[in-house]
Amino acid sequence: MKVGKLFFLVICCLLALTACGPTHMTKYEAFPKMYTERPLAILVLPPINETTAADAKEYYATTIAEPLSFSGYYVFPVEVISEIMKNEGLYDTEALLNLPPNKFKEYFGADAVMYIWIKKWSTSYYVIGGNVSVSIRSVIKSTGTGDDLWQYEGTIIEDTTVTSIGGGLAGLAVAVIATAVKTAATDYVPIAKRANYLILNTVPCGKYNPKHDKDREEKAVLEKVMRTRK
Amino acid sequence: MNRIHIILFLILSFIVGCATEPLYYWGNYSQTLYKYKKSPKEETLAAHKVCLVNIIEESNKRNKKIPPGVCCEYGYILLKEGKTDQALYYFEMEENNYPESKVFIDRLKKFTATNKEQ
Repeated sequence: MKVGKLFFLVICCLLALTACGPTHMTKYEAFPKMYTERPLAILVLPPINETTAADAKEYYATTIAEPLSFSGYYVFPVEVISEIMKNEGLYDTEALLNLPPNKFKEYFGADAVMYIWIKKWSTSYYVIGGNVSVSIRSVIKSTGTGDDLWQYEGTIIEDTTVTSIGGGLAGLAVAVIATAVKTAATDYVPIAKRANYLILNTVPCGKYNPKHDKDREEKAVLEKVMRTRK
Repeated sequence: MNRIHIILFLILSFIVGCATEPLYYWGNYSQTLYKYKKSPKEETLAAHKVCLVNIIEESNKRNKKIPPGVCCEYGYILLKEGKTDQALYYFEMEENNYPESKVFIDRLKKFTATNKEQ
């Protein structure tokens, strides 16, 4: 009887694992236009913040250049671009979205533009743990054809739980307080950076990365919900 | 905690950089830039400038290419401080390292020239 129950559980687990697994497409299957258009210079626009977290935009904007450069692309200095745009009166969301992509080729010589929408940026903590979750939609658009070359939409969750060091109830109480404090005063810069690294992992490598054009068969793991690993 | 972050970041750069060694040296870039954005004042700007110079120097020392945008960003700060000649020097460094930045750098150079005349 017990063995039967266990067997049943194992089958259930296996079914759940195969059913809810991430979509395993190759990078070429998922984003063929990245390989045919081969953009090199990518201009990252100031993120469009749809959340009430006022700082989310800055957290995101200051942590995107590094991972994108490691993917092998020329990344225009986000800070300089956003100041120039501000001078041109193009800082608000609508103005940016309405600008045709080929303008960025004309003004800056960009091959592609990266748009980012921050849909959710929330911090929560419960009795025995806490986390920060960030929902992002991001698109890389060609400035030549206006086509979408790459995109991602999903949620990144970072666990901010502090595991209890001491034993017993007292230890747990300390851990609960530590988690609450840590979640409330977390340094979001490294979290935003980890989220960016995870998301950009699906981008086919550009010219400056030795894997350029050699990663066609690599799996692009397009999970809706991803967790950063600590 | 910070040490763990650094180790994790290093591991991630290895994976994403797809090479035995990371492509670039970025130093403390995100942290100092964020602090400056969050509270733009003399000290935070000075700290970010130190970080940018450190990235340029360390990259040269380690025989790595300077990461994209860094020379340009430093030049732009110098330009705002009225140091046009130094600004041009860094703009040119960016263009030499990354020829694809030409259109953008030319735009900045033009801006620098009009700035100088005033």
